[in-house]
Amino acid sequence: MTPFLHINGIRKTYGAVVATDHVELSIAEGEFMTFLGPSGSGKSTTLYILAGFQDPTAGDIKLRGQSILQTPSHKRNIGMVFQRYTLFPHLSVGENVAFPLRVRRMGQDEIAQKVKRALSLVRLDGFEDRMPAKMSGGQQQRVALARALVYDPPVLLMDEPLSALDKKLREEIQFEIRRIHQETGVTILYVTHDQEEALRLSDRIAIFNKGKIEQVGTGPELYANPATHFVADFIGDSAFLAGELASVGQGRAGLRFADGSTVAAVPLHGQGMAGQAAELMLRPERIELTPEAGPEGASLPVMVEDLTFLGNNTTVSARTGWGAALTVRLNFGHPLAGRIARGDKLHIRWAPEAAHAFVRG
Amino acid sequence: MFSAAAPRRGSGLGFAMPAILLLAAFFVIPVVFLLTRSVTEPQLGLQNYATLVGSSTYAKVFFNTFFVAGVVTLVTVLIAFPVAWALAIMPARWSSVVFAIILLSMWTNLLARTYAWMVLLQQTGLINRMLKAVGLIDQPLQLTNNLVGVTIGMVYIMLPFMILPLMGVIKKIDPAILQAAALCGATKWQALTRVLVPLATPGIASGALMVFVMSLGYFVTPSLLGGTANMMLAELIAQQVQSLVNWGMGGAAAFLLLLVTLGLYAVQLRFLDRKETA
Repeated sequence: MTPFLHINGIRKTYGAVVATDHVELSIAEGEFMTFLGPSGSGKSTTLYILAGFQDPTAGDIKLRGQSILQTPSHKRNIGMVFQRYTLFPHLSVGENVAFPLRVRRMGQDEIAQKVKRALSLVRLDGFEDRMPAKMSGGQQQRVALARALVYDPPVLLMDEPLSALDKKLREEIQFEIRRIHQETGVTILYVTHDQEEALRLSDRIAIFNKGKIEQVGTGPELYANPATHFVADFIGDSAFLAGELASVGQGRAGLRFADGSTVAAVPLHGQGMAGQAAELMLRPERIELTPEAGPEGASLPVMVEDLTFLGNNTTVSARTGWGAALTVRLNFGHPLAGRIARGDKLHIRWAPEAAHAFVRG
Repeated sequence: MFSAAAPRRGSGLGFAMPAILLLAAFFVIPVVFLLTRSVTEPQLGLQNYATLVGSSTYAKVFFNTFFVAGVVTLVTVLIAFPVAWALAIMPARWSSVVFAIILLSMWTNLLARTYAWMVLLQQTGLINRMLKAVGLIDQPLQLTNNLVGVTIGMVYIMLPFMILPLMGVIKKIDPAILQAAALCGATKWQALTRVLVPLATPGIASGALMVFVMSLGYFVTPSLLGGTANMMLAELIAQQVQSLVNWGMGGAAAFLLLLVTLGLYAVQLRFLDRKETA
């Protein structure tokens, strides 16, 4: 079956600079797909190619099996919400939303009806006569959303639409975007560099790095099974302990660290052999602090360096025997919280699937 | 806001005094003299104004003046808009070169530029010879000594005064707004007429006012390219004052011109004011 939207090997170069390199992705109808990555990772370039503002150097984009690259922007029938407020400042809210319908020469009654429905969708009923300059940033982005959806586009592109808003407003509009996605069933491609936003909104997330997609998956998949060091580092905050591979076999590895301590049977990502440099990744909420050593190969001795009480948890900064830093979180009410102090010698332990080893590239 | 702005405005007045005094001495006082002479020479009364408004000769001069100024303004807007747009979106290196060319032409002596147009436009001039060589015309076109020549010469001289304010407003328009218009389904033409031009209106208005008002009182180009049969207001004033030594009539014409200018300015102020508060 042909995918609804297929981004097929998109490559874009500016002279010697490669903005995106062989981006390959299939998106299902009605899916909420987020492009997540740092700035300059190629996520916005990919979106702009979809919008028709840029032409790819190579590759194709197919919507329902038909290439859209030869279609100019104004005929692609794609909706888009931009990073900055791009409402037409000389037009009222109603006329802004009506704009796509007017350029399509729709009838007066139909326009009025559709504008009313679109404004109702973004909960701005009755704001038709307001001028954009008299509205808050959040309201302006809602109008932009209404304008992008009023002509029922099959795909809605959103380019960091909330980055200009403050945190509280951002969360409120994230909630609205989810609701609108559910109500309309529109396919959304969303670009952000904010991992929390990506996790909150998306069905699936594509992690971009240096013009390439590192991994595509649901939030839990990416969190539990990061394919690369970059993904592991980008989603969640983790400790990376540098060491070398001691043994490799069946997708798992043992690691040896500078002070001679070892861990065993950790899922290994990337090709490597014994003696090669590698890193052990540990998520702070998946490691446990204990007075006694845990099972052989899934435990390391640490010394407590600092304790920070943060309300719902106490964050413990600790160092391994060879001096690498990591953090552990103790939930409020944890039996150890309040009983440990700086300088205490303890151990960390983890469940076998909670750690990952990455070969150093 | 007023309390914050008021003291600064007051303290700035001292520095502005020399300029204000200069304006008073060399602009306001002569205008008052001119106005006085227009209603006292040859005798007390409004007969100079009555003659100006009543006679068909003078009506033709007024018509010529407003007609030429209007056409010049319209043509200037049409030419300047794409130029200003190109300048606004060009890479900075290129736009500064084009900009320098525009400024250079502005700084070149006005008479020299107008004579250059005479050379180009006359019966045996470059333009007529080229058109003939290409085979578009058999007889040379009459391009000087009429209003066509005046319009061509004045459009060229007025262009920078339109390009500069237009570029100012166009540069401030976020290119993403035009991308948004395109994705909304607007063709290039629709994006131009429904988004770009309305957003550039303040620049068009101030440029148009400047060009129109300057054109109304222009002397050199009309007198060199227009010939004696197609008199414009500035020429009329010069003729009345210099040749006929009729200060009353010249003063009345000059004062009418000033009134029209102030009236246009008031209209624009009100128009722009309403736009901003809407």
